[in-house]
Amino acid sequence: MARIITERLIVSLLVILGSLVLVFCILYLLPGDPVLSMIDPSSMTPEAIANLRNQLGLNEPFYVQFGHYVFSMLHGDFGKSLLNSEPVLPKILKHLPATLALTLASTLISTVLGVGLGVLSAIHRNRLIDVVARIVGLFGISMPTFWSGILLILIFSVSLGWFPAMGSKGLITLVLPSLALGFVGAGFIVRMVRNSMLEVINEHFIVTLRAKGVSEKIVMYRHALRNALIPAITIIGIHIGDLLAGTVVIETVFSRQGIGRILADAIMSKDLPVVQGVVFFSAIIYVLVNLLVDISYVFIDPRVRRTQ
Amino acid sequence: MIIGLTGCGSTNNGNGKSAEPGKQEAKQAAVVGGDLTYALATSPDSLDPHRSGLAVAVRVLRTIYDSLVVQLPDGSIKPWLATEWTTAPDGLSYTFKLRKDVKFHDGTPFTAEAVKFSYDRILDPATKAANSVALIKPYKSSEIIDDYTIKINLETPSRAFLGNLSQALLGIVSPTSAKKFGDQFGKNPVGSGPFTFVKWEENATIQVKRNPDYAWAPELVENKGKSYLDQITFSIVPEEATRIGSVQSKQVLAGETVPPQNIVSLKSDTSVQVHQVNTTGLPYTLFINQRKTPWNDVKARQALQAAIDVDAIVKTLYLGTYPRSWSPLTPGVIGYDASLENGIKPDVAKANKLLDELGWVKGTDGVRVKDGKKLTLHYVDGSPNREKRNDIAVIIQQQLKQIGVVVEVEITKDTANVVYTKGDYDIYGNSQVNTDPNALYAFYHTGDPKARPTLPGLADPQVDKWLEQGAIEPDDKKRVDLYKQVQKAIIDQAVIIPIYVFPYTVAASKTVKGLKFDPLGYPLFNDTFIQK
Repeated sequence: MARIITERLIVSLLVILGSLVLVFCILYLLPGDPVLSMIDPSSMTPEAIANLRNQLGLNEPFYVQFGHYVFSMLHGDFGKSLLNSEPVLPKILKHLPATLALTLASTLISTVLGVGLGVLSAIHRNRLIDVVARIVGLFGISMPTFWSGILLILIFSVSLGWFPAMGSKGLITLVLPSLALGFVGAGFIVRMVRNSMLEVINEHFIVTLRAKGVSEKIVMYRHALRNALIPAITIIGIHIGDLLAGTVVIETVFSRQGIGRILADAIMSKDLPVVQGVVFFSAIIYVLVNLLVDISYVFIDPRVRRTQ
Repeated sequence: MIIGLTGCGSTNNGNGKSAEPGKQEAKQAAVVGGDLTYALATSPDSLDPHRSGLAVAVRVLRTIYDSLVVQLPDGSIKPWLATEWTTAPDGLSYTFKLRKDVKFHDGTPFTAEAVKFSYDRILDPATKAANSVALIKPYKSSEIIDDYTIKINLETPSRAFLGNLSQALLGIVSPTSAKKFGDQFGKNPVGSGPFTFVKWEENATIQVKRNPDYAWAPELVENKGKSYLDQITFSIVPEEATRIGSVQSKQVLAGETVPPQNIVSLKSDTSVQVHQVNTTGLPYTLFINQRKTPWNDVKARQALQAAIDVDAIVKTLYLGTYPRSWSPLTPGVIGYDASLENGIKPDVAKANKLLDELGWVKGTDGVRVKDGKKLTLHYVDGSPNREKRNDIAVIIQQQLKQIGVVVEVEITKDTANVVYTKGDYDIYGNSQVNTDPNALYAFYHTGDPKARPTLPGLADPQVDKWLEQGAIEPDDKKRVDLYKQVQKAIIDQAVIIPIYVFPYTVAASKTVKGLKFDPLGYPLFNDTFIQK
């Protein structure tokens, strides 16, 4: 088991390093001049613009720039925002909690809703609850979050006045955005859990258990569900990765603080150090989540342990 | 605590016309106290007036900083931090007498030194100043005569200079704090305005609170003393549905930039008022690039002018809430030529005839061809779809199909490169907020070959002469005539297609009283109070 985890850790580190290289290369090769996007070129002399470019190290050759970049990243120096000279790392750390809270809350909603409805719909196949679950699944997958987000605002803020339409202060502001995001995940999880439950239910060992007279509840929740959970966890893991992208939209719709907003703003203004910082952090989170998912297989399914 | 108020700000509840600054409601007693929550559409980039490049920042800057002078809606310049001034006979210098009772939020007294520091700071490359640099031209230097007298020298005489000094981007900053915070001054702004900065939570809120010592408000507002509001909380809410929803759900008291469809629907909401102020300057204008054939020929440009049905565009996209524009200037700018209104009628037959005359013949596919070349028009627009500008491009694409012109629309954020560096466009749209007609100079005067080329690439010696004279003409009446001639020439030669005047709109709860707007369309909060 320790070997599996060590292996996974090494792979994760490689992935993080790879993403570092990739982000740097993409941004380096991107057309457009970050200096020109910082200032109004008509208001500055060409010498002043050249000075600024020198100051930012943009005239150095590729490998020098990359070396500087990796060296300072490893020392926790993510550079300063091109727009307002604010250091990048504190900026990200300040906004990370809001995004993590949103991610956590929506994962919770999509897991509970998704697994719950998925199991119920598989057990009660072709009954009303199954139809409801499938509709929920379909809606969750097909509704774009900016649309469902605005819909939630119109219903629960404007008409009913129950929840605030925007902001990121307090638990109450978390409700609508995490519902909007959680619904998407629930859609995927419902379908996945339902399908794998149906598969498992027809397996021989379930038939055997039933034949031995084990109660239906134990058969379903202890044996069938446990087997059906592996693909569900994979989906939840992938979905958490998606959430980091989803927060860009949802944080904008609900005017929340968070690294999604920072990333969107930074991309719009070609604020490269900030883009690099946020993407690097997202890669770390993505890798960590995948690591946890992999490790959880080991605990849930003894077969994984044996095959390793 | 309730005190008497001499008047209340202009409100205009959504009849689609601009609010008349100075028009008054029934007098009401102002209520002291309360926090005005105000939703902004985008986040300011910096609260350093000299370094900000975004109009949205000015909404906040105006609460923190004062200017040397103020411009009234009629275009006249009145005292603010300066009590009086004289102009040298050659127009190359101004001498200002300054108020002696003003101090900055950090306690620094306001003196000639602060004025010199502020203006010199804009020119200093280390400041990395943004839009303020263009605005302060032709400023050369300042001489401190005594603590409360300053002489400002110009490179060339300029009639626009005083008006520009009234703008928030040329606001006076506290020298003490600007030196102390350096490039972080934009996050720690200190001025002498009616509100002092409290805090800025990125992408969330900016808070300012009442400056209890304030007693030097300009003529533009009624309340010369400290503000009625305890504080203002600006929330940054980029999604328009959320912004308007927050006003309707009373999470905020006011929200800016109401989309047209909401302007229409909010009129029936009894708890909400809609303010609409048409901004001044250059309207949203499509510049036709004369460096490209066939647009270097006036007939080709006139064909576009006749084929593009601006009325249909504006009515379709803005549901009658944005006024259509007719001139290179918006109404409200000194010298605006109202006689141009309704001068051009859409006329597809005329457009077709003009292109026929130029030898562009319609082929079997309906596209005009000359010398084996198809008549295409490269239409560049800076994304994203601000004020539905991308939709304008699409409608024009359809309209020009009728006269056999293929429009290739390119939406790009990289206009600095595509438009200004490469000049790769036949049509490019732009607008500019300004109060002085001298704004036309940068767009229509034959450019210095070394400087950034102008958008239409116009090179007309007569227009140049008028623009040069307009920049310095001391006689107001003559100046108005000069600019009227410029506007007429530009429209007659079909240099541009003016599209719409942008109205700054605010949806506010009915309890918000006394919201005012300056001549550029920026909100002023000196007279604002919240009725209990």
